[in-house]
Amino acid sequence: MERGYWIRSKPVYTSLLWHEKATSHLVVAQGQGGMAVLKLFQLMHPKQAITVLYTPYAEADYSKTLVKVVPEGLHILETEQEVLAKLEIVLQGMCMGMRLYIAGSEDFMWSVAKVANKFGIEDAGMMKELTGTLARPIYCVHCKATTHGVTTNIGECSGCGRMLFVRDHFSRKLGAYMGLMIDAESPGELPEIEEIYP
Amino acid sequence: MALAFKQETFRNDYKYSNSPNAIKRFPFPFAEDQYMYSVNIEPHVKGKTGSVSEFAFDVDEHYVGECLDKQLTLDLDRGRYAALPHMMDAQWDFVELTMEALSNDYPEHFSLKKEGLNWTWENKPLNIKQSFVFGDASTMPMDPFEFMSKQVQGDFVLLDQRDETLYADAGFVTSQADWSLAFDVGMSWREWHAPVPRATELGVMDRALKYLLNLQLGSPVRRLNWTMTVNPRLDTSPENYPLWGTDRNTVNPENVADKVHLRVELQSLFRLPRSNGIVFSIRCYLMSLRELSSYPRWAKRLHRVQKTMHPDLIEYKGMTKFHPMMVEWLSQFDDGSAMAVGTQPE
Repeated sequence: MERGYWIRSKPVYTSLLWHEKATSHLVVAQGQGGMAVLKLFQLMHPKQAITVLYTPYAEADYSKTLVKVVPEGLHILETEQEVLAKLEIVLQGMCMGMRLYIAGSEDFMWSVAKVANKFGIEDAGMMKELTGTLARPIYCVHCKATTHGVTTNIGECSGCGRMLFVRDHFSRKLGAYMGLMIDAESPGELPEIEEIYP
Repeated sequence: MALAFKQETFRNDYKYSNSPNAIKRFPFPFAEDQYMYSVNIEPHVKGKTGSVSEFAFDVDEHYVGECLDKQLTLDLDRGRYAALPHMMDAQWDFVELTMEALSNDYPEHFSLKKEGLNWTWENKPLNIKQSFVFGDASTMPMDPFEFMSKQVQGDFVLLDQRDETLYADAGFVTSQADWSLAFDVGMSWREWHAPVPRATELGVMDRALKYLLNLQLGSPVRRLNWTMTVNPRLDTSPENYPLWGTDRNTVNPENVADKVHLRVELQSLFRLPRSNGIVFSIRCYLMSLRELSSYPRWAKRLHRVQKTMHPDLIEYKGMTKFHPMMVEWLSQFDDGSAMAVGTQPE
């Protein structure tokens, strides 16, 4: 990658910080994202209503500490699917002024964002912290399937099996990076596959 | 002047060529010997009689062939059309703009009759006649934007203006130079243009955006963009890259003049009255190097432009494999003498 060159569709993730003027707070985290939640509560225990949805992931499980630290509204769930299902229910009862905080892998964060979009929460209204892994969701422009957790420069499409080059171009609507067939011009000729999003 | 529409194909057997008149009016984009991105936007005012900018939307000898190719591409991939739900006002704006323009500018081919909101549209070259109630999508056989996008050459993107930027919230895109509507739909201006190398550093995109946010109703603007394409293929989409990617390997010194085409996009932008959106029209013109060289001035100019092209742009425009052959073939037209600024063919 050329130095100084930055593809501007690539999301910029920050550290989670409370919005002090929110009317309520909804925190959704996965795995290592539990640490981001703990950091939030180190800063402050907000006055407004709090809901926290958390699921352990891989080796990372902060459930025990979260139970001690989060004063109310903590839900520990077993899988991402359960988090998303619970999120649908929680969002139905939310009012204007609620702030959404998300921490986890890109796959996880953009799955959460997709649910939130359905409730009219725009991307700018969510704060996101990338934790645990750089693994990427990849959208195949050829067959339109999304492959999750890609850690290499080239990944196999879970839909059509093509080997996809992972482009730095990101769609918030799809919650994924663009994947383009790497050997379309010279079938079978693949560059070395390397882990670059561990 | 009545147009003679040709029977053409833009895939497989590639039955496509330009008549001498089509070559002469081709929107050649290079006024100088070097090329780099710039905010080359100008008012889309009426050009000379017979030129591609004589009318708001240019209809030429390729009209019927291109419209058939659009339908083929869309039939194979419905994702080439997309419209987010809040874009319905802009869809009707688009219908009004295109129907009025075509029926005024090409009355022998198109007609629009209005009785209040009851409109009747007739497209003779494509044999379409449709009566509908303007503003009532249920009286149309499909989305109003899809209906008319199929009947005007080129690609169309409807931009929604909010948060001080423009969002690509609807589109009909079947002849794109390697960008994906399905991927880009809903993106903001900056996100959408993100992969264009150098443009961000040059500040080109930010300045163009500033300009477009202030685009006025009734004062459309235009610019030219270009690339080189192997074969006269309209659908050089990333979606179908596996189908056309290998074409780049087929170029050799013997066929380079017939295989490699200069692809020029006449991009024009119109403010829309109801939605306050913008329609971004991207009209594609294709001409082989051989056709282009019937005006040696153009071949000479293109030689200089290509010879000095920035390596990033050669890569971005997908020319790496055939670029040296193209430069070599064009060099026969370049005697090295100075050329005056200008895009004219002679």
